[in-house]
Amino acid sequence: MKAVGARLPRYDGVGHVTGRTQYVDDVRVGRTLWVKALRSPHHHAAITKLDTSKAEALKGVRAIITAADVPRNVYGHLEGLGVPGDEPLLADGEVRYKGQPIAAVAAESEEAAQAAVEVIEIAFEEKPTLFDIRLALDPEAPQIHQWGNVYPHYGPYNHRRVRKGDIDWAFEQADTIVEGVYRPQAIEQMPMETQVCLAVPEASGRLTIYSCTQAMYFSMGVVAAHLEVPLNKLKLVGGTVGGGFGGKVDTASDTICALLALKARHAVKWRWTREEEFLASSTRAAWHIEIADAVTSDGWILGRRMVTLHDSGAYARFSPYGVTKHAFHHSGAYTIPNLRFDGFVCFTNRVPTTAMRGFGVTSVSFAVETHLTRVASVLGIDPWELRLRNANRIGDTSGNGVVMHDPSTVAVTLAAAERVGIELPAEYRQMTSDARSGELLPEHLVAQQRLNGEGA
Amino acid sequence: MAAETLVPSSADEAVQLFGDGTDLTVFAGGTILMPEIAAGRLKPTRALLLHRSGLDKLRTDGDVVRIGAMVPVAALAGGPDGPLARFAQQVADLEVRGAATVGGNLCASPGLGSQRGDLGAPLIALGARVRSAGKGGERTEPVEDFLAGDRAGRLVLELEYDKPFGSWSAQTLRRRHAHSYAIANVAICSTGDGLRVGISGIGPTAVRARAVEQSRNAEDVLKDVDPVDDAVASADYRRKMLIVLVGRALDEVGSS
Amino acid sequence: MTLIVNGVEHEISSPSLTALLHVLREELEIMSPKAGCQQGGCGTCTVLVDGEPRRSCLTPLATVEGATITTLEGLGQAEELSPVQAAFHNRYAAQCGFCTPGMIVAATALIERKGGAVDRDEVLDALGGHYCRCTGYVKIVDAVMAASRGEVEPVADLPAPEEGEPDVLVKGSPA
Repeated sequence: MKAVGARLPRYDGVGHVTGRTQYVDDVRVGRTLWVKALRSPHHHAAITKLDTSKAEALKGVRAIITAADVPRNVYGHLEGLGVPGDEPLLADGEVRYKGQPIAAVAAESEEAAQAAVEVIEIAFEEKPTLFDIRLALDPEAPQIHQWGNVYPHYGPYNHRRVRKGDIDWAFEQADTIVEGVYRPQAIEQMPMETQVCLAVPEASGRLTIYSCTQAMYFSMGVVAAHLEVPLNKLKLVGGTVGGGFGGKVDTASDTICALLALKARHAVKWRWTREEEFLASSTRAAWHIEIADAVTSDGWILGRRMVTLHDSGAYARFSPYGVTKHAFHHSGAYTIPNLRFDGFVCFTNRVPTTAMRGFGVTSVSFAVETHLTRVASVLGIDPWELRLRNANRIGDTSGNGVVMHDPSTVAVTLAAAERVGIELPAEYRQMTSDARSGELLPEHLVAQQRLNGEGA
Repeated sequence: MAAETLVPSSADEAVQLFGDGTDLTVFAGGTILMPEIAAGRLKPTRALLLHRSGLDKLRTDGDVVRIGAMVPVAALAGGPDGPLARFAQQVADLEVRGAATVGGNLCASPGLGSQRGDLGAPLIALGARVRSAGKGGERTEPVEDFLAGDRAGRLVLELEYDKPFGSWSAQTLRRRHAHSYAIANVAICSTGDGLRVGISGIGPTAVRARAVEQSRNAEDVLKDVDPVDDAVASADYRRKMLIVLVGRALDEVGSS
Repeated sequence: MTLIVNGVEHEISSPSLTALLHVLREELEIMSPKAGCQQGGCGTCTVLVDGEPRRSCLTPLATVEGATITTLEGLGQAEELSPVQAAFHNRYAAQCGFCTPGMIVAATALIERKGGAVDRDEVLDALGGHYCRCTGYVKIVDAVMAASRGEVEPVADLPAPEEGEPDVLVKGSPA
């Protein structure tokens, strides 16, 4: 471990500072066709006409694909985790978000590809739209997804649930209920490199795909599933990604370029414009989080009720997983013995959302920490002391029964306080993660303890 | 991009090649046109490139400052302090200012969701006049009249304004980073002959706020302008902020 | 028409309104300038035109006929990094590296213009139109200031093995 603490050069540092680092757009394989996509101008509409024949006849156009060209058009990124597929690679009969790809063209120049896109004949019949996730559960709201407006496959439920202890007892016993609503907004990851893919048919019949994906093997599986080919027909070449931040885990450009390369029997490249990146690439989701904490005057959090609405956009993608992670962390780094959490994956007519740096957890961390400070303010208790008393300790259990063997909340909180120059009383400065006892073990925290370490 | 390109090597040749501007795309610095071409929204068939036309002279003739249409915004930004330098310093960033021109800025159309042509405000406040060529020949007129008129078919050649230009104020509201478009710009010059108030960044062209000049009441700016909603700010916010900015500018020139 | 790029004269056949960015990347296969936005807003395409930093995506080819163009490749190579290149590498001013060519070109021009040490405000003014989504900018600004002061430390290397310890535990690994 002699690398730990040493100043090591980045292995790619010299390449970066001399302009030699190679990104997908820098790969050269000889003559390459350019790809442009026809994207939906509407938030929600039926496609009443789609005719690519005029576009196919244009000079320089070598291949055009629509939904009909995709061997398996609907495939879910998380089918391996039990989340059924709901999203078409290319729109089939309807569009559910502005920017959704409907057709893709490979042509001899970028201008020729764009000219072809502009002469694809397409007609729409607009449909009612849904943008406010707070309406997702309203039966009167426009139904925009085949599953209804809320993901229904959390076992028998349409929400991710966490139930622990007796929440009604907590709310009856509380001296005060502290409520808060938190609405982290959507964020576009805006990597400096836009999404880009180069697909090259090889003499062997395999396909080489130069991809900017953050998850090569994952993307390989997605491409193979859509194309209905065995994995060994594909060779994915990654390399240096010009920033992803979660926005390049669902690179549909890989599959679309693969199909065009096969149809045109030619290398094809698709480099998204910055406008496309803003319009059509997946973003971090917006959330609506409501928290109600049942608290005692001396600063114990007896119970927490929480409802989360997550804006999944038009399709599910990874959202069921993101809300699960969010659910796991909804008690924060603190021991709250009675919990009732419901998390809903809501569909709207927006670009499907995805990961960004702490998928699902950044939102809940923001909400629960802000809320804890609010609790402290309402109770007139120091926010550091509130956190230290309720902090996870050895033998405490999380919302879903995970036993804490080595929690770091106390140590980290004390270190943070010291760093920012907060003087805590001695009793708090001496706190450790040792199992609760004495004043730190009120009656209501006994039942959730697992000092032998077994699961709840 | 196989447009026919015309590269005049003098101002006279530029005027002659421009004709009445029909079917012609005029390239000054290119900072507005090149993104339009890259996005496929502009497909020039005939292009007039002015970079060799000698229209880039910046000079002072006695009491008159003359700015050729091709003078880079960077040259104005680096000039003596005044309303024009202040607003020039806020255009885009250092690299774009090196290529962008005062003529291009004056004639800029709105972007997608933003307003451009910030320099119109200080130029109006300075009482600048623009000399242009086109159908009907050459003419010189106040900047505010040029902007308010039909300027399709006009080739901007030069701007000029008189010195001294009195006490002045340059007020702007925008997000504090490079490349941010304006929420609102206010420029005022005050001389013995009265006030000149220029407003830009709130709609498709810069305008002269004559009601404010008459009354010296900041709220009267709403009689002079009709701000737009765009991606940068709402019309309502612009209206409220303009009153504040005009008020500050009037205070600064000692005229409230 | 003729273009001098990194000291080499080229005959260019691209149409006259082609953005310099694409002339460099597609015709000359000089890859360091990037197509980050093609609107002049991001800074990844910045090159030097007659020593001045310019957005190559905004520059029509015809307007730089006969000009001397310098890209990152022309500022230094692995065998001999320029001071700015070395400072960026030594001080971890590049993560994904996509903004790095534009940053280094702009920084090099700044230091040349100033002719000496630059302060934080000068760096922010000159590089303010360059986006980075990875680093948070602090190390970039530090690297530029350090380079302008002539501070170029040698690149860090692995710590020497201790007595009796084998030099490399796993062949090919960096640590």
